[in-house]
Amino acid sequence: MLNVLMLGVGQCGNRILDAINKEAFGGGGASKLAKYYLRPKFPSRVETLAINTAINDLKELKFTTAKDRLHVPNLHGVGANRNVGKQAFMDNRDVIMGEIEKRGDFDVAFVITSTSGGTGSSFSPLLINELKRQYRNITVITIAVLPFREEGSIYLQNAAFSMRELMDVEAEGIILADNQYMKRFSGDIASAYDKINSMIAQRLLFLIESLDSEMLSVTDLGDFKTVMNGGLRIGTLGFYKADRKNPSVKDAIENSLKPGNLLYPANVTDDAARAMIIVQGSREHLDVDEITKEMEKLSSCAGHVFKGIVVKKGHPKVLSIFTLASAPELEAIYAQAARAMQDEKEKRVRARKQLDDAFAHIEDLEEIY
Amino acid sequence: MRQLIYLAVALLLIVTIAYAKDDEDQVTYSDFTLNIGDRIDIGDYRAELIEIQSVKDGIAVMRISKVNGALDEQRAFLQNSANNFQGGSDSGGITITVTDIFDDQSAKVRVEYKESLGTAKKRTSERPAAMLNVPILSVQKSFDKNHISVGDEVKVTITVKNIGTGRAQDIKAEDLPPLPEFSYVVGYPPKIKDALDPGESDSAVYVMNAVKEGSIRVPAIQVSYTDSKKNVKSNNSEPFNILINPKSKANLILTLRPSGPITVDGKGMLNVSLSNQGEASATKVKVEGDIKPSDGLVATGLDKSFFEILPGMKENYSIELSGKKPGNYTVTLRSSFFGGDGAMIQEGRTEVVVLDREYKYLYLLLIIPVIIIVAWMYKRYREYKY
Repeated sequence: MLNVLMLGVGQCGNRILDAINKEAFGGGGASKLAKYYLRPKFPSRVETLAINTAINDLKELKFTTAKDRLHVPNLHGVGANRNVGKQAFMDNRDVIMGEIEKRGDFDVAFVITSTSGGTGSSFSPLLINELKRQYRNITVITIAVLPFREEGSIYLQNAAFSMRELMDVEAEGIILADNQYMKRFSGDIASAYDKINSMIAQRLLFLIESLDSEMLSVTDLGDFKTVMNGGLRIGTLGFYKADRKNPSVKDAIENSLKPGNLLYPANVTDDAARAMIIVQGSREHLDVDEITKEMEKLSSCAGHVFKGIVVKKGHPKVLSIFTLASAPELEAIYAQAARAMQDEKEKRVRARKQLDDAFAHIEDLEEIY
Repeated sequence: MRQLIYLAVALLLIVTIAYAKDDEDQVTYSDFTLNIGDRIDIGDYRAELIEIQSVKDGIAVMRISKVNGALDEQRAFLQNSANNFQGGSDSGGITITVTDIFDDQSAKVRVEYKESLGTAKKRTSERPAAMLNVPILSVQKSFDKNHISVGDEVKVTITVKNIGTGRAQDIKAEDLPPLPEFSYVVGYPPKIKDALDPGESDSAVYVMNAVKEGSIRVPAIQVSYTDSKKNVKSNNSEPFNILINPKSKANLILTLRPSGPITVDGKGMLNVSLSNQGEASATKVKVEGDIKPSDGLVATGLDKSFFEILPGMKENYSIELSGKKPGNYTVTLRSSFFGGDGAMIQEGRTEVVVLDREYKYLYLLLIIPVIIIVAWMYKRYREYKY
């Protein structure tokens, strides 16, 4: 059994972690009261911990137990200031690591964070380093959420610097989720967030369940690490669930790779470096030949494809994990961030000049009472 | 004339002297109480009481003798009849009269004699008193119970014992008159042996029934008998008072005390108490009962019988009840008995309630899960409350 640590850092990370806990109660079908009469049902031994400097963000969580919420005392958040966030982490490192240590030893840790916020984007790189230092053999995967582009220059700036730091740490890889890309799923922002959080939660739990299952065709944590080490060590997840109308496993695999079912905009055919396809479903739906053919087809464009087949009652569900050899969208983000930073800088200079000009009016004058 | 006076005086003196001489030897008498063997000495005369021949007829035998042997005569003396010896007291002899006979052993004797014979003296016999054959019967009459009520049987015991020294004969017991407050059942009049030797006793028992209440004086029984000398004697018992109460009856109180309401298929007890608060025993007591309505309540040991319940005593027993159907039931017990005035019946009843089956604590089946759920939810709430 895998020992899994899931850390939700910052407001975004906390919300996704809460969605994971909710998913453990039965997913979207679970009522708000499910936590009162059900036990969360994780596929493996999963320990969750929501970390935040803003206590109000922690209070918003609905499906995460109080003991799994760690408030890092720093007034009320770090105000999207990564420098303040880093200082807060360093000041409270022992508390944070002690809280994690209490939860035992782990095979894999998922650090779920937004790249744009204050706490998550500043804590996560430092936290990953601490995890790697404290747990020698742990596999650390970062689930990094990219911001809406219109959220503001600071968030873009934070995303740019945070991504760079996350790339520099020793984590096994980053799985990207792009809020901008996924907001098309829902009309308003609030329900888009919920949907995105739910999608990420569902896919992560599917992944954990698959890695910890008896498979017809075996994939394991080692294979997952190999996939995540491919390309830029940046990847994303695709998911598709077939239904009664179309229970074809072939279609399910193809659909899982379509941009509409990915967390981050990518062209698998062009951008994939390594991939892992995990298929779950009833035996009658799992045509191994078809699955193999699809794998072979994917292998022709992606360097290597790991195949996992889990026999479980139901229509086929497919989770595709792949790392990218190129990430053009990231470059666009960085360009936009740079522009925003430049604009911010110019605005600041202009404002300073205007202020100085204003001050010039009272230069050489004394206050008279 | 003077001479005539002297002559008259002289004659008067002569007459006076002559009379004075005559007065010096006058007849006198003495009374003595003599026991048999005692004697009276007067001059040369001796008078000895030999025996009392008949107290009833007043005849005593005395022996009269003279020292010089001129007189020695044994004669039966009739009471109060003077007997002269040697001319009697007027003639220088003695006159003896038995004035009273006290009993078989003693009598009062008067002796008349001339004073010239000296003074009469009593000489007590030095012979031991001879053992006499005198029967004495003691008589007792007794009832076998002190408290008598109308209708009670009473045993009367007559006991006659010869506590004397002689044989009593011709014994007749007379227990009259028959009392009107009693009817005489058997044994009346009492019969006692005709004769009883000394120390011997006899008794007679008769049975009578008290028929009338009131305070009565029970008369003595008189026993008459004769001794060996055919002396008729009698004795009687002491009369005594006795109270005959009104006729006593048994009063059997029947008390029923159920142990409480019974549930369907539950069991209970009905405690029955038969208390005789009357004056007479209740005999042949038979208790029978019934339950109305007849179905729905089953009683075990409803019927019971007792040979006798004494006055002031109590008999208890329990009836086991078993509830079959909810409802109110009337348990009626009837006790028939003989209680001094023929057959009697007493009745007692009580209500017994059979309740619907009580599902005790059933509400806990609802409350406990609710409490558990609430506690569980509160615990979870606390787990998730931040």
